[in-house]
Amino acid sequence: DRTQSTAFKKKDDDQGKKARTGKTTAVNMAAANPLYYTDRPDPRLETLSAHSAIPVHVNRVMEIDEGFLACLGAERYPGYLGTDFGLFGRPALLYRGQTQRLVEQLATNAEAAPQRATVLDGKGGTGKSAELLKLASVAASLGHIVVYAPSTVRWVNSSRPYAPEAGDSGLFVQLELALEQLRTMNGMCRDALAKVPLGRSAAVGKRRLAAESTLADLIDIGLQTPALSHDVLDLLLDVASTQTAVPVLVAVDEVNALWSDSMYRDQGDVVLPARRLRLIRALLPFFEGERSLARGWVLGAISRVDVRFMPKDLKLRLDPPPAVPLANPDLAKDPSIVRQPTDLPFDTIGVERLSAAEAWALMRFYHETSIIASPVTEALVAKKWVVASGNPRELFASVTSFA
Amino acid sequence: MLLLLGVNLPDQKVVSVALTYFYGIGPLTARKVCSRLSIHRECKLSELTEGQLNQLSSVLSEMTIENDLKRQVSANVLHLREIGTYVGKRHAMGMPVHGQRTRNNSKTAKKLNGQWLRKYSTPARPLLSSPPPPSSSAFGIFQAPLSGRQQW
Repeated sequence: DRTQSTAFKKKDDDQGKKARTGKTTAVNMAAANPLYYTDRPDPRLETLSAHSAIPVHVNRVMEIDEGFLACLGAERYPGYLGTDFGLFGRPALLYRGQTQRLVEQLATNAEAAPQRATVLDGKGGTGKSAELLKLASVAASLGHIVVYAPSTVRWVNSSRPYAPEAGDSGLFVQLELALEQLRTMNGMCRDALAKVPLGRSAAVGKRRLAAESTLADLIDIGLQTPALSHDVLDLLLDVASTQTAVPVLVAVDEVNALWSDSMYRDQGDVVLPARRLRLIRALLPFFEGERSLARGWVLGAISRVDVRFMPKDLKLRLDPPPAVPLANPDLAKDPSIVRQPTDLPFDTIGVERLSAAEAWALMRFYHETSIIASPVTEALVAKKWVVASGNPRELFASVTSFA
Repeated sequence: MLLLLGVNLPDQKVVSVALTYFYGIGPLTARKVCSRLSIHRECKLSELTEGQLNQLSSVLSEMTIENDLKRQVSANVLHLREIGTYVGKRHAMGMPVHGQRTRNNSKTAKKLNGQWLRKYSTPARPLLSSPPPPSSSAFGIFQAPLSGRQQW
C-alpha cells in the first residue's frame, strides 16, 4: 500500500482537526465581554434595482438583490466580492457616478444596440467586476434577458469536466458549465425569456419546438436534458441576439480568458486554445465583432488577477507601449504619453478611480459595518484615499490592515 | 481506496497524481493518460464514472507498468551482465554505473544497484573457473567473449 507514508508517522488523533477546533466559536457568549463581542451592525441599505438606479442615489452603498445573487450561488461571486460580502454581512456595493453613466448607457443601448462590444478596463481593484455585477442586476430587474458569466476563467482553467464533441468538429464540450449557465439565466430572467418566441420551428436533439415556443420552453429542454445544454445555449443566443422584443445584456467577466490558451489538453496532449471550447465559442463572436445584438448591449470586463489567462497580444493591445520608446519605465506608464495605435475588436471604457465623495461614502459604510472602529473624518478619508490612489481594493486593504 | 490493476489508489487524490502511484508512471505520463481520456486537471478519482474507470484500465493495460516493467528492467540488466559489459559488471558489484566517483559517496549506488540481479543465480557463462577459450584471449581472462553481434 503506497498511500501510507513511511517517512513519518502521524499522531493518532481520533477526533480530527475539525472536531478539535470546531467550526463554531468556543466563546461562551453569555459570559463574553459585551464591549468586545458586539452584534454585527445591520445598516439599512436600499436594494439596487431599476427603480433605485437613479442619479439621486449616486455615492450611496446599495445592496444587490438577493434573488439575483441566489441564481449565481455564493461560489460564483466575481473576484474578491464573495469575501467582501461575507465581511460586510450583506452583498453591498457602492453606486458610483460611473455606475449611473453605465446604467444610462444600458437604457440607450436597449433601444439601439451598438455594433461593437464594450469592455471595461482598468487597473486591478478598480471595480470592473463590481460594475458588471451591478449592471447585470439592474438589467435583470429591468426585465432584460441577461446572459451573465461572473467568471470565465473557470471555463478554461480545467476545473470542470470536458469531453470531445461527437464528429470531426474538433471542439470540446463542457456540459456541466453549459447547464450551469442555463440555470443562471433561467433564475435571473425567466419572465423575459417567456416573452420571446423562437420565431421558427427548431429541433433540439430529438425534440421539436414549434415557432410559437418561447425561449423559456427552450431552456426547460436544456435543463431536463444536460446532453443538449450546448445546443440549447447556442440556439438561445441565436434567437435572443436577432429578436427585438426584449433587450439583451451579455455580460462576461474576465473576458480576456476568451482569447487565452486554456489549461485543457486534447487527446494528443496538445494545449487547447479557449476558442476550441464550445462554450467560449458561443460568446466569442460577440466580442470579436462577428455577431451583434439587435437590441441590447454586449459588455465585458477585463481581469488582471490571473495572468495565466491574459494573452500577450491582447495585453499589448490594451496597454500599448509608448509611440517613442522611453528608457524610464515609470514615465512609460504615464497615461498622458502618446501610445502606438492599436486595433481592438471592441470599445473600451476605463473604470475610473474613486472620487473623494465616493471614498467618503465607502469609508462611512465601513464604519457603519464596524470594519473601521474609529470615526470617519475628512483627514482619515483623505489619507486613505491618497495612499490607495483612489483604488477601491487598495483602500479596503489599507483600512483593514494593521499598518 | 480504489483497486486498479492490483494497485490501491487513494480516492481523494486528483487523477493525474493518483496515477503516479503506479510503478512506471510519472507526472508526464499521468498527464498524457488524462489528456487521452479527456479527464480535467482537478478531477478526483472518486468523481470518475464506471465507464471512465474502464477506459482508464484499458489504457493502463496497454502500457508496460508495474511487474511487467520490473521484469523488463531486470531482464535488461541481466542481459548486460550476461554479455559481459562494463555496465553489467557494475550492476553485479553494486557500484555506480555511469562513471561516478567511488572514493567517497556512491552510497545510493551501493544500496540500489544490483537489486535486479540479486534475485538470480550466477550468470550462465563461466568466468574464472575454467581457462578462457583461445579465440577470446585477446580480451583478457576476466572478460567474457564478445557476443556474436559485436565481434569484428
